[in-house]
Amino acid sequence: MPVIDLISVSIIYVAAFAILLIGYLAAISSKDVIRLLISLEMMFGAIFMALIPLFSVAHLANTAFGIALVTIFASSGELLVLICAITILDLQKRDIHTSSISIGGDKL
Amino acid sequence: MLLLSALAGIAVVFALGVLLSKDNFYSALYMAATLVFVATVYAFFNLQPVFILILFVFVGAIGIVTVALAATYRSDPERQVSRLWAVPVAITAFFVSLAIATYSYSALNLQPVSSSAIEFELMNFIPLTEYMLLIVFLISLAILLLLSVLKMSVGGRS
Repeated sequence: MPVIDLISVSIIYVAAFAILLIGYLAAISSKDVIRLLISLEMMFGAIFMALIPLFSVAHLANTAFGIALVTIFASSGELLVLICAITILDLQKRDIHTSSISIGGDKL
Repeated sequence: MLLLSALAGIAVVFALGVLLSKDNFYSALYMAATLVFVATVYAFFNLQPVFILILFVFVGAIGIVTVALAATYRSDPERQVSRLWAVPVAITAFFVSLAIATYSYSALNLQPVSSSAIEFELMNFIPLTEYMLLIVFLISLAILLLLSVLKMSVGGRS
């Protein structure tokens, strides 16, 4: 069985944190919604990477696999909705820049 | 550990490419490469099911749709970051390199701790009833997401 030590765990966490930080920076500096989508996918990638050490705990391995499964499908669904929102935004505004979005939320 | 460091390092470098590239198309390509290397770390630890899921679902479907979207809405990039940022970036890179070099030198003298070694186990996945519950939750979530898309598209038409 493969073994993971604390140095490997720290390498994984440092890389995950770096990718998450880069995702945040890309989201902050984004001027259009496609770049925002890319930065969100980066953040999810960082989350996937941060999940790896969970598999190393014997009694948490099954739970970790379940969490990874749910995270992958939920994030994929969320990103698909965001892609649909981008195309609808383009249909409505003929523009995909974040500056064209003036209000948010929904009416209940 | 060297291979793991290389994989994680390449993932971070590709992630930096996303941030530094001004063209969304190349940013999307770098993002897909980052996710491929994140998935490869899973493969490195012999977690092939998650590797396949990330590669097929996240990179293969969502990543490629993002690349196609970025290629469709491709425009001339405009510079967002001033060149003056190169100075603090260079200083930070110097200190980070110094810290990594110092740590690597001191890590050579560290004794391996047996209690820190953790074994992987990926057998006996959750029981069947909980697995079915998970599937039901996932289907419900997918239906809710599709309903929200329908609502958005109907709202877009009106």
